Amino acid sequence: MKKKAKIVNFSLSHKKYVKKLRQDKFIVIFFRIFVLVAFLGLWELLTYTNVLDPFFVSSPSRIIAQLGDMIASGTLWHHTWVTLYETLIGFFIATVLGYLIAVLLWWNEKVRKIFEPYIVVLNSLPKIALGPVIILWVGAGTNAIILMCVLICIVITTMTMLSAFVNCDEGKILLLKSMNANKFQILWKLVLPSSMKDFISVLKINVGMSFVGSIMGEYLTSKAGLGYLIVYGGQIFKIDLVMSATFVLCILAFVIYSLVSLLERIYKK
Amino acid sequence: MNEILKFDNVKYFYQTKDDEIFALDNISFNVLEKEFVSIVGPSGCGKTTILSLIAGLLKPSSGEVILDGSNKIDRKKIGYMFQRDMLFEWRSVWKNITLGLELQKGKLDEKLALAEELLKKYNLYNFKNKKPRSLSGGMRQRVALIRTLVLEPKLLLLDEPFSALDYQTRLTLCDDVYEIIKSEKKTAILVTHDISEAISMSDKIIVLTSRPARVKDEIRLNLKGETPLRKREDSSFSGCFEKIWRELTNEEKSENS
Repeated sequence: MKKKAKIVNFSLSHKKYVKKLRQDKFIVIFFRIFVLVAFLGLWELLTYTNVLDPFFVSSPSRIIAQLGDMIASGTLWHHTWVTLYETLIGFFIATVLGYLIAVLLWWNEKVRKIFEPYIVVLNSLPKIALGPVIILWVGAGTNAIILMCVLICIVITTMTMLSAFVNCDEGKILLLKSMNANKFQILWKLVLPSSMKDFISVLKINVGMSFVGSIMGEYLTSKAGLGYLIVYGGQIFKIDLVMSATFVLCILAFVIYSLVSLLERIYKK
Repeated sequence: MNEILKFDNVKYFYQTKDDEIFALDNISFNVLEKEFVSIVGPSGCGKTTILSLIAGLLKPSSGEVILDGSNKIDRKKIGYMFQRDMLFEWRSVWKNITLGLELQKGKLDEKLALAEELLKKYNLYNFKNKKPRSLSGGMRQRVALIRTLVLEPKLLLLDEPFSALDYQTRLTLCDDVYEIIKSEKKTAILVTHDISEAISMSDKIIVLTSRPARVKDEIRLNLKGETPLRKREDSSFSGCFEKIWRELTNEEKSENS
């Protein structure tokens, strides 16, 4: 499309239209940044003038100081790495396992029907309720946190992928059957590739969910990690620490989400 | 000419939880090699059921379907073309037309050469590496036809392949497909509810009754004209149309009474 556009001589109204598009985009970006700056500025101002008590709400300058301390002592990397490690391992296991279970359930309709009600119940069960049981089974520590993370992501992965598989275009299945395809070929050539879009949205959901899992796991049982910092900071009334850890968590989630979006863009090409 | 397909007193029942639907009642007809046969009938009478039986996707409840001398359907002898083109959006045109070869592990050089040749012949070679979404509706159906032809089926099954297209594309594609089928010397069975389409393309038309479908009439055609569009100008065209129209409307009346 871009190549074509260069050859054509544009009319004045088109130029105006393009200009307006560019202006609109600029306005959006400008106000996006403005909202952030205004929020941080107001926060800083209100705490600086003691309208709000920084003991309870912290402040941007205190958060920066806190992060600076932690970077200097090296603890920030340690805690961030611990959380990232738990999250990624949990994310990976849940996605792969959930996907495989979905394939299995697609393959055999009877098995699917047998397990349907169990999956529905598991999906609506708040996984945090299993916390004590998890600790009893795998012990307190990293394993428990990863397991919590897996439990939170896996059911939704299986459910989403299974519904994508089952809703595969019947006509295309018929086409493959008329070409004498076997069930494995139908799975490999049609069902899996046609559900790639759903797989990418599962990845996007799982990024968020696996952070929920790892932070919740760290609330339950941990000696390190951003969730640990948040709980610890809360217990000793150090809101600066809580806010700093939350800030790092935001950045982490944003980075991983961007990676998945990048993957999506590569796939769409 | 050799007989390539024979329906011998075929009955078919669809089973559902609380009903048994009697779809085909003693259907008998035959198709000779290189013939173009159309099946017309009131909607929902079981036309697609007949194609599914030929393709071996369904088994007759009683009677026999004999394809190329055997009642065990060999799907490799069949090419099935659907109402929708069923192109896989994530595959290029080339990958789409070689799909069947991939499935049959038959990506032989000669088959690939045939695929290339067909693409060139039907003006799609420039789109070889494009994704289907950049093709028009008519082009997409031509790709679907080539995907079927590459497997070199003895018998082509066409299930209303033109009905999803606009009228003009439809007439042009009709000519294209007709020419392709004739020049590749294929036998074809077309299911359609468009009477004029059936008349303009076929050597023989089988008219079905409403459900349970029986063969109401078999009409042999001999219209002059090189292409389906030209055949529409033949003097016997309107008479033929009239006849089939009356047969079909009588069916619907008797169904309603």
